[in-house]
Amino acid sequence: MLDLRGLSIGGADGAMVVRDLSLSLPASGITALIGPSGCGKSSVLKWLAGILPKDLDAEGQLMLDGQASARPSPAISYQPQGDGLFPWLTVAQNAALGLQVRGLSRAEALSRVAPLFRSFGLKGTESQFPDQLSGGMRQRAAFLRTVVQDSRYILLDEPFSALDAVTRLRMQDWLVARLADRPRGVLLVTHDLHEATRLADRILVMTGSPGRIVAEIPVPGPPTQRSEAALAPLRDDLKSLLLENAP
Amino acid sequence: MLPSILPPLLLAACLLAGWEIYCRLADVAPLILPAPSGVLQALVLNRADIGAHALSTIAVAALGFSLSVGFAFLVSIMLHFLPWAKKGLMPLFVASQTIPLIALAPLMILWFGFGLLPKVLLVILVTFFPMLLSLLSGYRQTPAAFADLLASMGAGRLSIFRRAVLPSARPSFFAGLRISATYAIVATIFAEYAGARRGLGIYILAAKNNFHADLVLAAVVVSAALTLALLGAIRLLDRLTAPGSKARHA
Ligand SMILES: Nc1ncnc2c1ncn2[C@@H]1O[C@H](COP(=O)(O)OP(=O)(O)OP(=O)(O)O)[C@@H](O)[C@H]1O
Ligand SMILES: [Mg+2]
Repeated sequence: MLDLRGLSIGGADGAMVVRDLSLSLPASGITALIGPSGCGKSSVLKWLAGILPKDLDAEGQLMLDGQASARPSPAISYQPQGDGLFPWLTVAQNAALGLQVRGLSRAEALSRVAPLFRSFGLKGTESQFPDQLSGGMRQRAAFLRTVVQDSRYILLDEPFSALDAVTRLRMQDWLVARLADRPRGVLLVTHDLHEATRLADRILVMTGSPGRIVAEIPVPGPPTQRSEAALAPLRDDLKSLLLENAP
Repeated sequence: MLPSILPPLLLAACLLAGWEIYCRLADVAPLILPAPSGVLQALVLNRADIGAHALSTIAVAALGFSLSVGFAFLVSIMLHFLPWAKKGLMPLFVASQTIPLIALAPLMILWFGFGLLPKVLLVILVTFFPMLLSLLSGYRQTPAAFADLLASMGAGRLSIFRRAVLPSARPSFFAGLRISATYAIVATIFAEYAGARRGLGIYILAAKNNFHADLVLAAVVVSAALTLALLGAIRLLDRLTAPGSKARHA
């Protein structure tokens, strides 16, 4: 279990970006974090990943299985908004980056990611460069890089927002399948209510100025067995929650 | 590749043709303005002599330029990691750029003699600063997302520098290399002009003193060719070391 307690983030101008925000993340399943643009979703993820910009003041506590933890923590891997693939590295080198940073030799890291290319739908792209891939493939490569780090928790910042509708649906199913292979606790930031209700076990609704969580809504049933019809009322609830709390 | 060099070649050919025609029609004295054909003739007749001097110029420029690039690289890394050193040293580097070469070159010869040292120093003085600025501005162009991603993986400052900052600075580095390369040849010739035993600079000085405008121009042609060759070599290096240069052409 990952617990974030009492996170407050203050801007340089004294404005509060996030105030007294707490959330917890079970070791498996997807928790979605939704909220209007600018409410502080990325800031929360960055704090958890240990990369909040230095001009922002923050206080809060990160607990992993009841133990206070330093940040960045090897138990958490983070995938930034956009895919963050390095254009000068091949797809395989990009995928191996996290392992190399954590001390594996280049050869070791590459041999660790090589067998995963097939199941990630990236077979044959190993020695290509990111600009030769489609948007969906780039996201898969970024996710491969995130997953091979073998952390228990994964933070995804709007992973599918740049994709067209069809590719996005495919990637969502694909993400659920990959997580079934290797369970992780995922915190998924998204703007897309369909995405949140399709994928998440639980939806945290955030509002802005200052950023805080105003509701925590469980989504019934495993993601693979949900019907669109059953989800529609839930989306209506979420929509009215977001509108109610809009400034 | 070919179409891109065609327009400048055509333009140069037109200018040369105009120059040649003007010299012949207006009957200009070759002592004042030799025609291109005259310059070419002088170049061919004196090729051994000019070649020997050019070789010396190449050696000085290449040595000074390489030292300068290496030095700029080391200093850029130091300044990147030590912001206070940057604050202290940058004004000095800027001031060094305001010293007129025309004042400094003779002094250097006076202090260090006619050998290699004053010329190499002068080349370093001229090329170091643009190289340093290019590198530093390249480091600043590192996308924050790349450095952040590495930091979230637990990478330290050195690892981030090696994996994200240096590769991000690559285009800037080559831009700086191209600018400094042109300065390197000019600075070498300038230093030789102020006093040397060999080199295109001293050759130009001697030719001028003997009223051989054709030889002056022949040496200028050679120095331009040297600069173009150096730029070509840098471009080749850029292409060969570009990430994916092999994968993409396969
Ligand atoms: N480095 C910074 N300095 C000062 N303020 C910042 C900084 N980074 C972000 N902010 C502010 O923090 C607030 C939250 O930004 P954040 O990027 O976390 O929002 P978000 O919910 O992820 O938005 P989006 O949905 O558009 O990605 C914004 O109002 C932004 O102006
Ligand atoms: Mg965001």
